[in-house]
Amino acid sequence: MEFDWTTFALEIINFLVLVWLLQRFLYKPVTAAIAQRQAGIEKTLTDARAIRVEAEALKRQYENRMADWEQEKAQALQQLRREMEAERARLLAALQASLDEERNKLRAVEQRRVIEQQQRLEEQARSEGGRFVARLLSRLASAGLEERIRGLLLEDLPQLPDRELHVLRGATQAGEAKITSAYPLDDAQRADLTEAIGRLAGRTVTCEFVQDAGLVAGLRISIGPWMLRSSLLDELQFFAGAQHADAKR
Amino acid sequence: MASQTSFITEVFRIGPLSITNTVVVTWGIMLALTAAAWAVTRHLGISPGRWQVVVEGIVAAIEDAIRAVLPDHYRQVMPFIATLWVFIVAANLASLIPGLRSPTGDLSLTAGLAVLVFLAVHWFGIRARGLKSYLRHYLQPNPILLPFHLIGEITRTVALAVRLFGNIFSLQMAALLVLLVAGFLAPVPVLMLHIIEAVVQAYIFGMLALIFVAGAIQSQQLREKLLKTPVMVKGEEGREKGKTASPNKGS
Repeated sequence: MEFDWTTFALEIINFLVLVWLLQRFLYKPVTAAIAQRQAGIEKTLTDARAIRVEAEALKRQYENRMADWEQEKAQALQQLRREMEAERARLLAALQASLDEERNKLRAVEQRRVIEQQQRLEEQARSEGGRFVARLLSRLASAGLEERIRGLLLEDLPQLPDRELHVLRGATQAGEAKITSAYPLDDAQRADLTEAIGRLAGRTVTCEFVQDAGLVAGLRISIGPWMLRSSLLDELQFFAGAQHADAKR
Repeated sequence: MASQTSFITEVFRIGPLSITNTVVVTWGIMLALTAAAWAVTRHLGISPGRWQVVVEGIVAAIEDAIRAVLPDHYRQVMPFIATLWVFIVAANLASLIPGLRSPTGDLSLTAGLAVLVFLAVHWFGIRARGLKSYLRHYLQPNPILLPFHLIGEITRTVALAVRLFGNIFSLQMAALLVLLVAGFLAPVPVLMLHIIEAVVQAYIFGMLALIFVAGAIQSQQLREKLLKTPVMVKGEEGREKGKTASPNKGS
C-alpha cells in the first residue's frame, strides 16, 4: 500500500476534467435529447388531447345538427304530407268535376242521339206512312173518289175567306183558268166547275181542262198566279211537308 | 517508492513529477470515455439508434437513482455522482484488459476520489444552505457532539478511500495468486467475480458519496420540516383519538 502525492493530485485534476468532459459530451446532450423527446411526446399528447376535445366538440355539434336536421326533416315531411293531401284533394275535386262534366256531356250526347234516333224513326215512320198512304190512296183512287173530291171542292169554294177571294178575283182579270184532273171530266162536271169559278170571280171565266194521272185523284185549279190544290197528290205532299216542319220544330 | 510486490510503476517523468501507470491508465480511460461519449452523442436524434438507446438508458437510470435520493437538487449533483459511477466502473474493469491494471487498486487514486467526495459534500451543502447554516449543523443537536462529527467526517472519507482500494487491490492480488497457483484457465471465475465486484464497488462508492451529499444538503431541511410538524406523545395521540371517537365521553 503506497501513496504518491503526485498521483493523488493528478487524479483529482483528472477527475475534475473528466467531470467537465462528460458533462460537456455526455450528460448535457443526452439529457437534452431525452428532454426534447419528452417535450415532443408531451406536445403530441397535448395535441392529441386538443384534437380529442375538438373532436368531441365536433361530435356534439354534429349530434346537435343531426337532431336539428331530424326535426327539420320531420317538419318538412309533415308539410309535404299536408301539401300532398291538399294536392290530392284538389286533383280528386278536379277529376270529379271532369267526370261530372264528361258524364253531362255523355248524357247530352246520349239525349241528342236518342232524340235524333227518335226523329229518324219518326221521319222513317212518316215516310213509311206517307208511302203507305200514297200506295193505299193510289190503289183506292178512282173516278168516284175524284167525283167526291170535286163535290167537296164545290162545297168549299163558296166558303173561301175574303182575302183569298180578293186574290182570286185579282187573278181572274184575264178571264182564263186551268183545271187539271186525274180522271177525265165530262161536260156536266166541267160546266159545274166553270160556273162555280165564275161565281167566285164574279165574271165569266174560260176554263182549260187538262188530265194528269199524277194527281192520283182530285183537281188542281190554276188562275194566273193563284192555285187551288184539291188532289190526293197535293194533300199527301202537304201532309209530308207539314210533318217535316213539325219534326224540325 | 516502488517495491517489487507493487503494481504501481513509474512510466515517465515530467520534471519533478513522476507519472505512474495509474495516471496513464486514468488518462486512457478518460480519453476512451470522452471519445465514446462524443461518438455516441454526435448524432443524437428524436428517433434513437441502438447506441443512443443504451447511452440514454444508462444516463436515465443514473438520473433516476440520484433523483430518488435528491429530488430537489439532482441536476446539480448529477455530473459529479454520475462521473464517479462511470469512471470507477471503467477503472475497476480496466484490469480485464491484458497488460493493464485497475487504477482503483492504487490508494492515491481512491484517496483523491474520497477527498473530492469530502470536498463535494461541503461544497453542495454550503451551496444549498449557506455557510452559517451548514456549519451550524455540526453543533446540533448538541455542541458537545462536534468532535464526533469531525471524526466522522474524516473516518468516512478514509473508509471510502480504503474500501475501494482494498477491494480492488485484493481482488487483483487474489486473481494473480490463483493464476500463479492454479494455471491458465482457473482465474476465469475469479475474473467474472471481478466484473461483479467492480460494478458493486462502483455502485457502493457512488451511492455513499450521494448519501453523504444528500445528508449535507437535506439534514437542515429535514430538521426544519420536523420542527414544523407537531410532534405528539403516544399517550397524547391516543387521548386525541379517543376524543375524536367519542367527543361526549369526557363530559
